[in-house]
Formats: sequence, C-alpha cells, structure tokens
Amino acid sequence: MAILTFILYAAAATLYGLHFAQRRQNVGLAATAALAAAVLAHTFVLGVYSVHVGHLPIVSRDEAVSAFVWLLALTYLYLEMTTNERAMGAFIAPLLALLFLIPMTSHAPVERPALLDSPLFAVHAVTAMCAYAAFALAAVVSITYILLFRELKRKQPGVFFARLPPLRALDVMNLRAITVGLIFLTIAVIAGVVWIGQARVYAPNDPRVQAMSLTDPKISVALVSLIIYAFQIYARRILGWGGWRAAWLSTIGFASVLVNLLIVAYLVTTSHSFD
Amino acid sequence: MQLLLLGVSHHTAPIELREKLAFSMDILPAALGLLAQQADVSEIALLSTCNRTEMYVTCRDLTAGRESLTGFLCQYHGLASGDVTPHLYARANADAAKHLFRVAAGLDSLVVGEPQILGQVKQAYGIATEQHCTGATLNRLFHQSFSVGKRVRTETGLADGAVSVSYAALNLARKICGDLKGVTVLVLGAGDMAALTVRHLHAQQPGRILVSSRTLAHAEALAAEVGGEIVPWTETASAFVAADIIVSATGATRPIVTRDRVAAAMRQRPTRPLFIIDIAVPRDVEAEASEIEQVFLYNIDDLQSIVSENLTRRGAEVTRAEAIVTEEVETFAAWSRSRSAIPTVVALRRRFEAIRQAELVRLQPKLNALSPDARNRVDEVTRLIIEKLLLTPTEQLKALADRDTLLAYSDALNRLFALGPDAVDSDESDENGGANGPPSMVVRS
Repeated sequence: MAILTFILYAAAATLYGLHFAQRRQNVGLAATAALAAAVLAHTFVLGVYSVHVGHLPIVSRDEAVSAFVWLLALTYLYLEMTTNERAMGAFIAPLLALLFLIPMTSHAPVERPALLDSPLFAVHAVTAMCAYAAFALAAVVSITYILLFRELKRKQPGVFFARLPPLRALDVMNLRAITVGLIFLTIAVIAGVVWIGQARVYAPNDPRVQAMSLTDPKISVALVSLIIYAFQIYARRILGWGGWRAAWLSTIGFASVLVNLLIVAYLVTTSHSFD
Repeated sequence: MQLLLLGVSHHTAPIELREKLAFSMDILPAALGLLAQQADVSEIALLSTCNRTEMYVTCRDLTAGRESLTGFLCQYHGLASGDVTPHLYARANADAAKHLFRVAAGLDSLVVGEPQILGQVKQAYGIATEQHCTGATLNRLFHQSFSVGKRVRTETGLADGAVSVSYAALNLARKICGDLKGVTVLVLGAGDMAALTVRHLHAQQPGRILVSSRTLAHAEALAAEVGGEIVPWTETASAFVAADIIVSATGATRPIVTRDRVAAAMRQRPTRPLFIIDIAVPRDVEAEASEIEQVFLYNIDDLQSIVSENLTRRGAEVTRAEAIVTEEVETFAAWSRSRSAIPTVVALRRRFEAIRQAELVRLQPKLNALSPDARNRVDEVTRLIIEKLLLTPTEQLKALADRDTLLAYSDALNRLFALGPDAVDSDESDENGGANGPPSMVVRS
C-alpha cells in the first residue's frame, strides 16, 4: 500500500507538472484526483500502521516525515479547493513524492517508549507537524512570489505571470500560513518544555532526556526556525518588510525546518531519537 | 441537409466593403427575418463584426443556397453582385464547421487569440435563437464552437498576454494588486491617453479614482466621467500614499514624479505594492523609481515591448490551437454523419406505422366487437411492437461512423422496405460530400 501511495504522489507530481506546462483543464482535474487518491491511500497506510503499533505515527523520525507529508498534502488540497488555484501543485506535489520515499523505505514499526506516554508529548509532536506543514505551504507560496516578482521587476511577464495568482494574494497567503505555523510551533515548544520537566522526573537517567537542552541541535534549530518566523511577523509590522523580503524569510525559515526534519533528525540529534 | 457558410472577412475584403456589408445589432433581427424568407435555406445565423460578416445556414442544395445568400447580401445592402462576389468565400459542412471553430477560437482574427470574438459568436447565436432561426444543426454547431473557444483559451497560450497597451497595463495591474475592486487609482494628467487608460481601469470598478491635473477643468471632466475625486495638483503627496496604481500621462517636458517622491510615499505604506504606469512621452516618472522594492514602474516602451512579445508567443501556440479545432471538427463530422441516418429512420418508421394502421383498418370489424379498453390495448401493443422492432436498427444506423457504409445500409433498407426516394439524404452525396467529404468550394470569383 505504501508503494501505491508513492505511485499516486508521483503521478500527482507528474500531472501537476503537465498541467503547469500545458494548462489543460482535464490534466488539472486528473492531478487533483491523483493527489486526493494519494492522501486517501496515505490515510489508510497511517491508520493501519497506528492500529498495528498502538500509537499515533509521531514517534520515530520516519513516522514524523510521513505525518508531515500527509498533513501538507491535506492542507494543500484544502487550499486548492478553496482558491481554485492549481499552479502551486507543481511545486508541492514533487516535494510530497520525494519526502514520502523516506517513510516508504523505512524498516520495522517502532514501539513507543513509555517515556512518550504523556499527552503533552502528543500535543508537542502533532502541533509541530502542523506548524511544519504550514511553513512548507508558506515556502512554496513564497517561492512562487519570488519567481513572479522577478518577472514583474524585469518587465518580462512570462510563464509565471500567466500561471500564478497575483503578488498581493501570494503575500497574504504567506502571512496567513506563517501566522498559523507560528501559533502551532509556539504551542509545540511550550508543550515540549513542560513535557521535558515531566520526563526529567520520570526518566532522569535516560540519555535522550539528558540531552534535551538548548544545545541539542534538534531543539536549537527549531528555535532558530521560530525566531525566523517571529522576526518575519515583527519585520512586516515594524520594519515594513512585506512581499519580497517576507517571501525570502519564509523560504529561509522552511530551509531551517527541512534541515531539522531531515539532516538533524537523521544525522545529528540525540534528544529526539526514539527509534 | 447541409451546412453552408458564406461571408467576407478582413482576409478577403477591404474595410470599405466590410462596412457596407455589416449588419448592426439593431437591424440584425430584421435581417434574419428577411433571410429566413429566402428559398433554399432553413436554419440561419448571422455573425457580423467589424472584421467579418458571415452567414451560417443549412440548405438542401449547396449551389442554390450559395446563390440565394449572395443575392440576399447584395440586395439587402444595395450592392452590385460583381462588387461583392470576388470577396466572398463559401465553406460547406465540415469545412464550414472548421471555419466557425477557428473564428470562435480567435484563430481567424486580425489579432490572433483576441477574446472578444467568442462573445460576438455567442451574441450572434443568441439573436438567431431569439428569432427562432436555428435548429438541430446550428444549435450543435454553435454550442460546439463555444466549447472550442473555451478549450483553446484554457488549454493553449493563444489568448495569453495582452496585445494592446491598455490591456497590457490592466493585466499587470491585476497581477500586482489582485482584484481591482478595492484598489485606489491615482491619475496624473487628464489628457486623451490618461483618459483611455483610466476608462479601462474604471470598468474594473476600483475602490477610488483620484484625478489630478494642472488644468482643473480637465481634471473635473475626467473625474465626472469615471466617478473620481479631484486632488489638487500641488497636494498629491497623500494621494501617492493611498494609491495602489498611478497612471501618469501629463504633458510635462521633464519627470514630475521623482524617485525621492515615490520613496517618501512608500515609506508610509512599505508592504503594499505600487504599480506606476507612465504612458507620457517624454516620461513623467524617473526610471530610478523602479529600484524601490515594492514599486513596479512600466513606461510606454515597456508596455509595447510586452505586447509585441505576447504576439510572438501567441503565434507559437497556433499549432496547438489548430489541433484542438481539428479534433472538434471530427466530433462534429461524426455527429453530422449520424444525422444522415435520420431520413432513413423516419421513412422506416412511417412505413411500419402505415402497415400497422392498414392492418388496424382491415381488422376494424373484428375490433369493433371489443370493448374500448381492449381496442386501446391492441393499439398500444401493436405500437410498442413496432417501437421495439425498430429500436436496434435505429441505434445501429446512427452509430455508423463510415459515411459510405451508412449510405449502403440506407440504400439497402430503402430497397428492402420500398421506402421511397426521400429515405436517403441525397444531399449528402452530392458534389461536396457530407461532413466527411472533400474540401468544399471556395468562391472567389
């Protein structure tokens, strides 16, 4: 079923790409249908997995990536249906297909350590995933903003001019997405901090609990992300950094999220290794 | 029945003749009424724009239909046949459909891909239906042409990009500011160029239009026309802050909008983009203003350059658009072929019904002995038997894709059931073939 899910994500990526190039309405509808089918299949995969292991798929790194992909796909589908804009699918769907390769090739299911039984951990993990999905969306919106902005500034309207929503709409979408993401990330950080306090009492000798401090890369990079997004909102209100600069901040912010979700999680961290 | 198109367009006739042959909106219904009285034609639609006058009709005989339409056109406009005929073109069946599909798609337009023509085709069809001049063939033809127009616009880049300076400015405004309904437009100058651009913007119902001109009377006239507010020429600073779009078209000999002036305004609204359209020659706005991050400055040369690039790009999309037209013509041709089976089907049904009626008359003495209910039941049962017997052959006949096979089947049914000469649509087999026939006539002399 995971392979089928990947095939559907890959098909959606191809169809969104074709739709971006050719703008055939049928191809666009097929792309949406493929993505919706991929989300359904992915929901089934996550559901079966959760029943099998007895917990939400938010414990291991692979589970986190899978949940992130699922949330992002779902959020994008909602955005597409409410705005009737498909152009951004050409940017989102390939990201979904590529990221899904990680959980697809993962090994045996992971059992949840007793340490993670707290509801606070669930709140921490779920809100962090929601925040990352919102930031991913903001990044894609921002990249399209930058591409369109360059065309307009160079006075050469072309491919992106003909396909993307107006600059102002993209700017508003970016602001909304990072606002939602920032709220989720703040909740995730607060829940995480409170949970660490509980964990230190429950398992003071666990090396992962001991590693949970600001010096741990997973935590410090997450804080960097939070600072980047918070700065973006501050800069927009106080310094007048809208549009172009805000778009770059969203792109850089999501780069830090990807570093945390992939590089730090798989190669560096000790505090968040539960598989 | 065959489909015939006769007309003139910018390809074949000079504007002087096109003007004389045009049917304005107010005379079009009456002209359709007169045309409907012509012998040899049945369904009618008349498409008349500044670039073309075309008559789409169905007729039994193409040559007679063509003569009838030519006569009508010359007589209606009081022109000699010799002056008009050399500029006329005629198309029949699939070629006529192809022509209309190309017209609706904007492929036959003076400016390839221009969007107005689809609306004009819809309007022509609307008037024809109001006058009860259309039937199955033209209904199908025109509805399909709307679909072709829509497909070409959505699936190809043929209609992409503006091909006039005003429209290019409007497209840019939409792409920068989004929906123009809430935006504020500031107009500097109130001359012809400024007025023309503002009229385009006014049609988009912007939130506010602010007009500022050195000559107050000009500003008042333009403001009154577009429902704008007048801003004194020396007090435009706050208007610069409020504006989302600035149209500058004054007669000033050197820039009146400096970089510093724009920068000062932008400091008060830094996150909101400002689109400046400088259509003055010499330019009103310092080129350096475009260096400000959220300022998008386009002068007349920039807009003209976009227009010419769009025209080139549209040219590259023609092949894709033509492929859609070809595909749709095939669909129309297949539908037309299935229509060719109708005379045979109708004759077959008449034949069976005649036999049924004859048998009922023959059995009348015996049937009279039955109750009224029983007689009605006999009538209904015999009718249903005929319906069921004819259902499959009718469907099979209509489904035949190959025209020769269809004619062979129709001929066979005609002979087997002695259906008579009207049973086969003989018009389909004349010089121009049916919808699938060889290229139709092109009248130029």
